[in-house]
Amino acid sequence: MMKLRAIHRILSILILILFSSSCASDLDYNQVNDIKLEPVFISNLAYFNIPANEFVTGGIEHTVFMDTPAVDVFNDKFFKDNLSRVDLFFEVNNTINRSYRIDLVFLDRNNQPVHSTNFIVPAYTGAENIVTKTEIFQNATLDLLKRTTKITFTLTMFAGPPLSENSIGSLKLRSGVTAYFIIE
Amino acid sequence: MRKIILIFVLFLTIGCISQNKQILYNFTSVPQSLLTNPGSDVKYNWYFGIPLLSGISTNVGSSGFSAYDLFADNGVDFNVKLRNVVFSTTRKDRVVLNEQIELFSGGFKIAGDQGDSYVSFGMYQEFDFMSYVPKDIAVLALDGNRDYLGKVFNLGDLSVKAEMLSVFHIGFHKKINEKLILGARGKIYSSIYNANSTNNSGYIYTIPSTQGVYEQMIYSDLQLNTSGTAKYDDEDYEPNAVKDITKRAFLGGNLGLGFDAGLTYYPKKHIQITASVIDLGFIKHAKEVESLTFKGTYKYEGVIPKFSSGGSAEDGYQEFKDAIPLDTLYADYTTWRPTKFNTSIQFSFDEERPEDCNCLNYDPETIYKSAVGAQLFVMSTPRTPLVAFTTYYRRKIFNSLQMKATYTIDSYSYKNIGVGLSSMFGPVNFYVLADNLLEYKDVTKANSLSFQLGLNVIFKNSKK
Repeated sequence: MMKLRAIHRILSILILILFSSSCASDLDYNQVNDIKLEPVFISNLAYFNIPANEFVTGGIEHTVFMDTPAVDVFNDKFFKDNLSRVDLFFEVNNTINRSYRIDLVFLDRNNQPVHSTNFIVPAYTGAENIVTKTEIFQNATLDLLKRTTKITFTLTMFAGPPLSENSIGSLKLRSGVTAYFIIE
Repeated sequence: MRKIILIFVLFLTIGCISQNKQILYNFTSVPQSLLTNPGSDVKYNWYFGIPLLSGISTNVGSSGFSAYDLFADNGVDFNVKLRNVVFSTTRKDRVVLNEQIELFSGGFKIAGDQGDSYVSFGMYQEFDFMSYVPKDIAVLALDGNRDYLGKVFNLGDLSVKAEMLSVFHIGFHKKINEKLILGARGKIYSSIYNANSTNNSGYIYTIPSTQGVYEQMIYSDLQLNTSGTAKYDDEDYEPNAVKDITKRAFLGGNLGLGFDAGLTYYPKKHIQITASVIDLGFIKHAKEVESLTFKGTYKYEGVIPKFSSGGSAEDGYQEFKDAIPLDTLYADYTTWRPTKFNTSIQFSFDEERPEDCNCLNYDPETIYKSAVGAQLFVMSTPRTPLVAFTTYYRRKIFNSLQMKATYTIDSYSYKNIGVGLSSMFGPVNFYVLADNLLEYKDVTKANSLSFQLGLNVIFKNSKK
């Protein structure tokens, strides 16, 4: 019986020591609500590269090209909710001996223009011929961008030395997006 | 009442890592040690566990970071702590929770001429959760890809599984001869719910290009399998989790089969070797299965106006969604239980004189008061197995009080000291086992903790 009591006492003391000497720092799990992610993503926006000979068919020059591809990214719900700034980068590299104007018109779902931009591209003379532009969309302009569902690309070729089906060079546009998110 | 049960179930689900039970293993004065080796040298005439109280075990572990690192109430912005955790961990770091509670258990002896045989049986409920740190995906979510041109983000970093199940088991162990005890246990698993996304692969990269601004490639082979959770997505369904869980716990869930085997061998009287393999089994998920897949390859070039054809150009974003669709499948799948392998070697010393014998506990064999030993534990995981090495000292303090102290090295810690005590008050056996004692000075900073306790009623041989 003595032994039992002694065991009991040892056990109690051990358990007491374990718990009284243990401690826990204050933790606050509600901090999860403070989570704020601010990733910055880069991606392509648009690309084309038109060789000089495509501006000519059967000896006749096409001076105006147009297409309106759908651009459904910015009005996606996730983008609408979390996008805080967008930078659009454009680079036009012209190696054709003619000058151009490139017009981009951003359209909403009712085909109403919400934003437009254009580039005047000089004719190629043998030196590097690159036109670049960066547009930043924030607040009100960003809200307009978020309504965009398609972009009309219009190329206009200005007068100059005639092109043939053997003409060399190309008109190349590449465009990238830098999207700044704030996800809370 | 239902609420209380639900809270209790949730508590069990949350409150509780690796499944290394280094203190319980081969601690033969506790009948539950049979669950870690069906060939344990356990002796009893018969025993039963006090329902719900015979075996409570929880195990929490996180390599790489602790709860304190992430949730300390120290005025540091949570986002700063989150960044520190993400950038200080690797894809090999993991968080593991394991919890087991015995609903009932019992056993009895079948005396034999050659040697005694023992039967043990019971049912326990178990919850397992394991997740690797999805490092690259977390970096992408925190920073995006702008500052990582050229880096290949590995989507295979995502590896996570969670399961709640109940296990019915019956085991048998037999003393083959004076030196050898063999044991085996059959198990039926009834999975209450399962979510499993462990065979993932894929990558995303962005590099500067001469064509577009960037060359951007995504290849994704991601899949999440679930069973038992699909109907909770349905808004019309009125959840009755308690009823569902109870029904599925009692063999109404997705069923599986498993097998344990083990042995104890005495090459000499004072040298003991043991080995066991636990949970060699699978569960076939066929009821309420739902799998989400996100599979495909896509090179994103942006929109490309088609001037020459005049036709409307395709929408890059829509093309992307078509190339890597989010699909829902309803196909059966099989999961493998995390299989555990244990082995140990023990040297006993400090022989006890027979006249000191407590006749309740009389054992014809030589009794040693002390023993030292080493154990090895290996568990299968979705990637490299988890390995732990333990050395221990075991001491019979009184006839009715046994102690086992352990020192364990594993991927979570190299200073894990544990102590287990098992006492007999009459036929009542009470045991309490805890490890990582050094971490108790501040449990929130611990990388792993485990705790087991239980109450049994054991009747041993009174004569023989």
